[in-house]
Amino acid sequence: MIKVRQLYKGFDGMPVLKGIDLDIHDNETLVILGPSGQGKTVFIKTLVRLIHPDSGSICYDGEELLTLSHKQLYRFNDRIAFVFQNSALLDFLSVQDNLQLYLLMHKAISPRDLQRRTLEALHFVGLDDDVLDKFPEELSGGMRKRVAIARAMVKRPQYLFYDEPTTGLDQTNAEKISELIKMLKKEISATSIIVTHDIKLMRDVADRVALLKDGLISFVGDRDEVSEQMLDFLYE
Amino acid sequence: MNKSQKFFVGLGDKTIAFFTNVYDMTYLLLQTIKALPRLWFYRRQLIEQIYIFSVKTLPIAAIIAVFIGLGATVQGTYQSSDLLSRAITVNVIFKSTILELCPIVLSLVLAGKLGASLAAEIGSMKISEQIEALETLSLDPVGFLVMPRVVAGLLMLPVITIFANFLAMFSSFFVSAVISEWISPQEFYSGLEMDFKTFEMYFGNLIKPAVYGLMIALVGSHFGLQTSGGARGVGESSTKAVVISAILIVIWDYYLGRLLL
Repeated sequence: MIKVRQLYKGFDGMPVLKGIDLDIHDNETLVILGPSGQGKTVFIKTLVRLIHPDSGSICYDGEELLTLSHKQLYRFNDRIAFVFQNSALLDFLSVQDNLQLYLLMHKAISPRDLQRRTLEALHFVGLDDDVLDKFPEELSGGMRKRVAIARAMVKRPQYLFYDEPTTGLDQTNAEKISELIKMLKKEISATSIIVTHDIKLMRDVADRVALLKDGLISFVGDRDEVSEQMLDFLYE
Repeated sequence: MNKSQKFFVGLGDKTIAFFTNVYDMTYLLLQTIKALPRLWFYRRQLIEQIYIFSVKTLPIAAIIAVFIGLGATVQGTYQSSDLLSRAITVNVIFKSTILELCPIVLSLVLAGKLGASLAAEIGSMKISEQIEALETLSLDPVGFLVMPRVVAGLLMLPVITIFANFLAMFSSFFVSAVISEWISPQEFYSGLEMDFKTFEMYFGNLIKPAVYGLMIALVGSHFGLQTSGGARGVGESSTKAVVISAILIVIWDYYLGRLLL
C-alpha cells in the first residue's frame, strides 16, 4: 500500500502540488485524472522520487520513500516499473537490448531464460520477433509504447506507473494500450497507477479514480461514482 | 533598470553560473570516481565508449597528425639558420610536436568532435526522459553514462596521441629526409636522440592527453546532463561543451607545463 501525506512541490516559487493526501491500495488500478498542466506528471514522478518533493511523506508498505539513501533507492526501484509518456526507450539500444537491459545488469539469469522472458514480454504486447533487432526510431509511436510496456513487464514489478499511456496515439492504438494495461495487471498482479486526461481510458481500466485539480486531490472513489459533471473540469 | 545596473546584474548572473558549473562539474567528477568500483558492471558501456574514443577517431587523428608533422617541418626548416646544426632543428620540431602541438591540437579537435556529440547524446536522452528511465531500471546514470565515457577518454586519448605523435614524426622524417633531402636519415635520428628526457615522453604522450581526455568527457557529460528544453537546449549544451572544454584544455596546458616541466 502507498500512503501519500501532505505532498508539496513547487517550481520557481510556483506551487504545483499543494498538499496531496492519497492512499493507493494493493493490486488496484488507480487512475489519477486531471487536465493538462495541473501537475499529474510531477505527481507520478514524485511518487517514485524521480522528482523530490518540497515536503510531505510517501510510504510504501510502511517504508518512507523520501528518506531512503541512494543505495536503498536503487533497491526500491527493483519493485517498480514506469511507462513514460514518450516511452523513453534507450535510443542507442535495439528493442532486444532495451527489454533485456534490466535483467542483464541485475539478475543472474541464463541466456535461455533471458531469451524466454524477452520473447514472453514481446509476444504479450502483441509484437513479433522481427522487432527485436530494430531500434526505437524505426518503430511507430504505438509500437514504442508497447515495447515500453514489455520493458516494464520484464521487471515483474510490484508497482506499475503509467504517465499518460494513450497520449499521442490514435484510437485503435489507445484501445490496444488500455487492453494491455488490463491484461498486464492480471498477468503480474501489480498495483497500477495511471495519470491521464483520457476519460475513455479511465472508464476502461480503473478500479478507483482520483481527480487532480489545482494541485489537490478533489475526489477519490470507485470508477462508477465518477459522474459526467465531475469531469467537467477537464474541459475548462 | 539602467544600462550600468543591467551590466552588473548580468555580470553577477554569469559569475554565479560559472561557480555553479564549477561546483557541479567537481561533484560529477566525485560521483564518477565513486562509481569506479562498478566498472566491471558497466563493462559493455565501457567497451562501446573505448571503441568510439579510439577506432572512430583514428582517421581524423591521422590526418591531423600527418599535417602537424609536415607543417612543423616546413616551418622549422624555413626558420633554421646555417649557424645551427640541422639536427638541432629536428630536435626542436620533435619536442614542440610531441610536447605541445600534437597533444593540444588533437585534444581541441576531439573536444569538438567527441565533446559535442557526447553532450548532444546525453542531452537528448535527458529531454526524452531516457535518463529517468535508467533510474527506474535501477541503473545509476553517472555509472551507466558518465563513468564509461570518462574512463574511455582517460585511457584512449593517450593511445590516440601516441599514434598521432608517431605519425607526425614519420611525416616530418618523410618530408625532410626522403622528399627534400634537407637532412640525412642519420642526422634526423641524432636530432631525435639529442637531449632526450624520458619524462618528456610521458608528459606529452600520457599525462597531457589523459587530463584532456578526462576533461572532454567530463565537460561533455556535465553539459549533457544539464540540458533542458528541446532541440535548442541540446544545441546549446553541445556548444557550451565544446567551448568550455577548449578553454579548459588551453588553461591546463599552461599549468601542466608550469607544474611538471
